[in-house]
Amino acid sequence: MTMGKFLVRRILQGVFVIWGVITIMFGLRAVSPGDPATLMLGEGATQELIEHVREQEGLNEPIYVQYFDYLQGMVIGDFGYSWRSNRQVEAMVIERVPATLELAIAATIVAIVIAIPLGVISATRRNEPSDYGATLFSLLGISTPNFWLGLMLILLLGVWAGLFPTGRRPVGFAEAVTTLVQHGSVYDLGIWLKYITLPAITLGTYFTALITRLTRSGMVDELGKPYVTASKAKGLPSVLVRYKHVLRNTMIPIITVLGLQMGTLMGGAVITETVFNWPGLGLRLIDALDARDWPLMQGIVVFIAIAFVSINIVVDALYSYLNPQVREE
Amino acid sequence: MISERVKSNLKQTFSESLLPKLGLLLLVSIVFMAIFAPLLATHDPTRTGHYDEQGAEYPPLGHEYTTQTPHEGDIVEITVEPTTEHVLGTNNVGQDVYSRFLYGARVSLLVGILGTSMALAIGVPVGLVAGYYGGRVDDGLMRIADTMLAFPALVLALALIGVFGESPVMVPDPIVMAGLADGMPESIPIPGTVTIVVALVTWVWFARVARGEALSIRNEEYVKAARSFGTSNKTILLKHVLPNSLTPIIVLATIQVAVIILLEASLAYLGFSGTTLSWGYEIERGQDVLRTRPWVSMFPGIGIVLAVISVNLLGDWFRDALDPNIEGEGR
Amino acid sequence: MTEDILQVRGLSTRFFTQEGQVNAVSDLDLTIERGEVFGIVGESGSGKSVTARSIMDLIEPPGEITEGEIRYRNADFAETVGDDHPGAVDGEFVNLLELPPAIRQSLRGTSFSMIFQDPESSFNPTLTVGEQLAEAVEVQRRASARPRSTRARTESEEYSLGSLMLSTVLPSKKYVSDESRERAIELLELVGIPDPVERADEYPHEYSGGMLQRAMIAQALAGEPDILVADEPTTALDVTIQAQVLDLLDDLQKETGMTILLITHNLGVIARMCDRVGVMYAGEIVERGSLTDTFDEHVHPYTEGLLGSVPDLEGANRRLQPIPGNVPTLLDHEMEDRCHFADRCPKAMEDCLDHPPEFDADERGDHEVRCVLAERDYDEGRALPPDYFDETERTAADKHADPDRTEEDVQPERTQSPVEDSGGGGL
Repeated sequence: MTMGKFLVRRILQGVFVIWGVITIMFGLRAVSPGDPATLMLGEGATQELIEHVREQEGLNEPIYVQYFDYLQGMVIGDFGYSWRSNRQVEAMVIERVPATLELAIAATIVAIVIAIPLGVISATRRNEPSDYGATLFSLLGISTPNFWLGLMLILLLGVWAGLFPTGRRPVGFAEAVTTLVQHGSVYDLGIWLKYITLPAITLGTYFTALITRLTRSGMVDELGKPYVTASKAKGLPSVLVRYKHVLRNTMIPIITVLGLQMGTLMGGAVITETVFNWPGLGLRLIDALDARDWPLMQGIVVFIAIAFVSINIVVDALYSYLNPQVREE
Repeated sequence: MISERVKSNLKQTFSESLLPKLGLLLLVSIVFMAIFAPLLATHDPTRTGHYDEQGAEYPPLGHEYTTQTPHEGDIVEITVEPTTEHVLGTNNVGQDVYSRFLYGARVSLLVGILGTSMALAIGVPVGLVAGYYGGRVDDGLMRIADTMLAFPALVLALALIGVFGESPVMVPDPIVMAGLADGMPESIPIPGTVTIVVALVTWVWFARVARGEALSIRNEEYVKAARSFGTSNKTILLKHVLPNSLTPIIVLATIQVAVIILLEASLAYLGFSGTTLSWGYEIERGQDVLRTRPWVSMFPGIGIVLAVISVNLLGDWFRDALDPNIEGEGR
Repeated sequence: MTEDILQVRGLSTRFFTQEGQVNAVSDLDLTIERGEVFGIVGESGSGKSVTARSIMDLIEPPGEITEGEIRYRNADFAETVGDDHPGAVDGEFVNLLELPPAIRQSLRGTSFSMIFQDPESSFNPTLTVGEQLAEAVEVQRRASARPRSTRARTESEEYSLGSLMLSTVLPSKKYVSDESRERAIELLELVGIPDPVERADEYPHEYSGGMLQRAMIAQALAGEPDILVADEPTTALDVTIQAQVLDLLDDLQKETGMTILLITHNLGVIARMCDRVGVMYAGEIVERGSLTDTFDEHVHPYTEGLLGSVPDLEGANRRLQPIPGNVPTLLDHEMEDRCHFADRCPKAMEDCLDHPPEFDADERGDHEVRCVLAERDYDEGRALPPDYFDETERTAADKHADPDRTEEDVQPERTQSPVEDSGGGGL
């Protein structure tokens, strides 16, 4: 199968998955208790007003009509209006994406920069103190709830050591870069960095631990394969064997796992944003849930699903690019 | 189903490494704490109002703190000493932190075990059927699984709780009912929706693993032989495919208990669990007073970490011992 | 006039496993002459592969070479290392076990090369065959660019991790040069692979087993080695392909005059290829000598057993004939100080309860046998009763009936699990 065909098939599957997510969210809303018009207007609205809104929003139509209206809106990128703030859901989602993206990328960088060297050290120096250290760290990392870790980091590094600020961040990355470009000042960038450090560690720790474990076990497995001995036998320096051959082959399956773990990353972002009052999508989702603001909730969930599916298509494409055996099939 | 070889592998891995021993010891202690919580607790974990005379909360033993409190119309700074009555101090509504720590273990473990059992009960049959029959059945079921995966577990759980409410279930406490622990609550609340929801969001992993196993087992000679004798598919699934795919499922189930304990804690932390007797909820409560009374959040967090580590250590032990390709040494 | 190129003296390789110490190779002597094909034959688990890997310095923990000398004759090399490691040099010979690992590594590919049993798993599946061959050429090219300086060969800054990372972005920093790639294609042509230019860009899974074994031979020849170690080079191949690969090895050997150490359990391959043979059993060479010595004038009952029911060696691809009984475990605490074959030997005598030394079988000095029968004739009066070893044999087999692992399976632990791969849900 060629790459093009492969991509088309994966994208079609992705579209199906997103349709499933939209449908499930619509179904959940349909069976959820509470009249939408009342939720929209709040308690104490007059019956007439409620009836008016029901009519206007098409809530008196049969359920399948409502479903197709909703689906149609989603297809053309119209996610509807928030019940609480009466703003367009798309806008409310998009404005929160950068903060979450900054956090997710920072956490991923933290994870990769720490985890891969740690996993390599652990795998190549098995049963030495450094291996035990890495094993203990990764065990703690996958076992610590990130909200508690966040609080403890705030307490230790923020409050007691005073190294990092703990309030809501004053600047985003875009503003910080604007300051840099317009005024040549890195001051805002420094602030941004100070504010993102603890959330990034909080979100990144689980992944650091997970990737460390995967890298270690994958590399131990890979190091035992005959081609490693064969590469040594032809005189290849061990650095080259270890990195050009073994680490590369170790990372190929790990990439797929990481794609699947993107869901965990998004869930972790919701928690981390709550702990640090980080103005991202996750915090907005929690607000929407508390307020039972269904259109906003749906919009955010569908957006996350689209992001997840897209990332996994990229991951699959990358995987088949890196792994010739899959590529040819 | 559990062969002698498996048993001896388990034994060997156990004796060779410190970590499984540590995991088992931890888990046994936590289970012990959870079961005998009413006997071990010093206070009713739900009773509020154990403030000291000046209306402040007690710190844990070995720690004193200063706080501000109204006194005769002024705000005065007072120093609060710990008391042996509350060894881990009290929380911001005056409940005993130690007693709540014990009861928190009950909720965590119950949700972890019940949730995993339900996820197993959904995921394994779906996965086995998909893998064994293949074709359209497989395609359909796996697309559903993909859709489930596209929801972050936490987000889906939140959405489902939003729909179905929190519905805590009161579970009577046999030890208190038997009159062995006076003054303890007669029943404790288990988060009902959360337990079902964690199963609904994690069954996919069981389905994926069971499917993979069924896919490879259906091509084994003994399955082909059974089919050629005219054995029904149902019998083959139950007699051959299920028993032979158990090993990775057991390993996964162990890991999932840890995942679900973390998930329950997160939901409780976000305030969606419907029960206040939970480590996660307690951490959230401590967040407001983190600066002055950090112990309120700290101890339940340690509880979660220890419970999850113990289960993960057990999972690693099973994995090292049961995977036939593994020469278990150390971790 | 032939000369010895490799002398192995008293080599012992042990594996320190959880079940105990495994004596994979014990007190092994062998001598290989320049330009000859020396064969080692034995059942699986007899220590053949471990011997080969010991010579190549490919023994990894928990394995370790505990004793012995591996003396390699190379006058230039002896001169080069003589300054830094005078203790290792003896005339034109260098005892490789006295050298630091970095220098031994520099010999791989250039002085010693190896081909493996299973070509499919001996190539990295994610790189093209051409690239992997070019790597082998590059090793040799860089070594000869700095002739006679072992230090430069091993401590080159070009091998650093930093430059490796740079090589992913800067083409000029790539390890493998274009010249090496061209040479790799020539090598593929040399071993008879059609369309070598196109095939060089293909991945290992696109090759057939026989083609891949040819590619592996090409890779082993890249450094123009003095000694080629071939570990079961045809075992994984179809019978018809086996013959082609042997022909190829034969031709290449005649062309280049290189020395081959051929390891196999196939007597047909030995008969067809080898000038001299060593028969291995339980980590020892029990009989060694010329092809005629071992095949026609053998002394050891084990050799007899191997050959016993093979009616015609010529032209046949004979596998070993099974000999009743179990291959010994090689676990140190279960090995007794006796002839290790005594429990399966039809001619076991009381003398066999002492571990036999190597005897000179025919007073010409190159036919050695580890069996008392070289000294005295079989005497039924001294024979051991047939059930003498029953007790010990059973316990040994119960405890550890998997002798193969000493050869192939003593490898780093594997902790990859399908379960962890699939993630595990999460928040």
